[in-house]
Amino acid sequence: MGNKLKRMWPENGLKSSYDAVIIGGGIHGCATAYYLAKEQGMKNIALIERTCVGYGGSGRNTAIVRANQRTQANLRLHKEGLELWPVLTKELDFNLMFNQSGHLSLAHSESTIGAFRINVSSAQLSGVDCKFIDAKECKELVPALNLSRDITHPVYGGIYSPPGGVLRHDAVMWALARGAAEQGAHIHQGVEVTGIEMSNNKITGVTTSHGKIKTPNVIVAAGGYSVQLAEMVGIKLPVHPLTIQAMVTQPLKPFLNLALSSGAYDIYITQTLKGEVATGAHMDEAPNFTSAVTSICLKHQAEMLTELLPCMKGARFMRIWAGLADMAPDMAPIIFGNDEIKGFYFNGAWGYYGFKSGPIVGKYMAKFIAEGKTPHHLEQFTNKRFARFRYTGEKAVPAEIGPWN
Amino acid sequence: MYTITCPICGKRNQKEFRYGNEDVGPMPSYENLTPEKYLENLYSNGNHAGVQKEWWCHRQGCGTWFKVERNTLTNLQVKTGEAK
Repeated sequence: MGNKLKRMWPENGLKSSYDAVIIGGGIHGCATAYYLAKEQGMKNIALIERTCVGYGGSGRNTAIVRANQRTQANLRLHKEGLELWPVLTKELDFNLMFNQSGHLSLAHSESTIGAFRINVSSAQLSGVDCKFIDAKECKELVPALNLSRDITHPVYGGIYSPPGGVLRHDAVMWALARGAAEQGAHIHQGVEVTGIEMSNNKITGVTTSHGKIKTPNVIVAAGGYSVQLAEMVGIKLPVHPLTIQAMVTQPLKPFLNLALSSGAYDIYITQTLKGEVATGAHMDEAPNFTSAVTSICLKHQAEMLTELLPCMKGARFMRIWAGLADMAPDMAPIIFGNDEIKGFYFNGAWGYYGFKSGPIVGKYMAKFIAEGKTPHHLEQFTNKRFARFRYTGEKAVPAEIGPWN
Repeated sequence: MYTITCPICGKRNQKEFRYGNEDVGPMPSYENLTPEKYLENLYSNGNHAGVQKEWWCHRQGCGTWFKVERNTLTNLQVKTGEAK
């Protein structure tokens, strides 16, 4: 006790040239920097963040991780991602508070059950531990669940995936940033990128609010602002930046020991180790860059929560906040690089999945940048898929599901 | 929470309206139309952090489609477009 708190990572001056510049100090940016320095031996790299590390979506999500997506491309990525958390906890020497509590996703209609059966089958095919359970089994897992038929969306069953869980997102951010700095990366907070320079379709540098940096590689991982950065080099992308709101209640006695989500009710719920119920809501319908919260969302959340989990009646919300999510039309990420513009890499449009996928995508992005060739795991997320009308099939829309996914 | 001004019904709660994407101009002509060009018109958004021109429909009101100039940093409207 009484020790003066030390900085987690040193503050370096901005150098005039780096081997790679990563734009965005979120979980994807930090993970890319960490793996680039650690596994690919690129030590002369800079991470540029406009505000501070973990200020955006990385520190605003509800920190649920799971691996029961629909498509093979997402499944193998998220499965590896899920296995990475315990490894990272050791490697980074930081308690990420990974609570592998399991994840339950509820079905509220016959058609959802049909969609869930596809989900479960493809997840099992990829070796992800998950199964379809009926309403009674859901009640056994969550005794507080309301199985009445008289509610807006009665529970029909659900997907139970034991490897899912919850982390502490701030710890993940600090640990990754500290790890990247220990490996030699420079972290520059409060520096804004104002332009990306290129000549003959090759990246030559970036201009920032603190001066010019020469670099042959630029990696965009700026979440909601990625599209504007891509536009600096003339690449247009079909992404909407939408806000998602989340909130926590006052601490309650433990009643929920897994991450619960429901598509029809538009909610996902976890109870933190402290007892607070952290819950997220739906996205706003129109793009905006504010982090404004709305009373309508709070009301919706209160109504839905008390209907699904009646024991929450009378609980009070303590805080509400909003974060930006960049959403592509097929709800899947957009990852490409080093094709038309040499040295330009894009990793964005993660929407709902940004946090779960952070470290593993950072690992593959680092490989991508070091080798200049798209790793197999990321191939399906190319921006070219829209022109070919080959969506990833993450949404439960039959037209988007085909032999290619 | 913010408001959108409908040319017929006036200033109303945004929840009454449906967002109809950015105004990217008319559909390109079918001559020499490539999937890339079609796609650009269909999907490519500017995602402006600032004033953007966009379509809205007064879904829970008169049903009119109209253009609006909204500042995406403040959600305030710059001026109301004409109904079409």
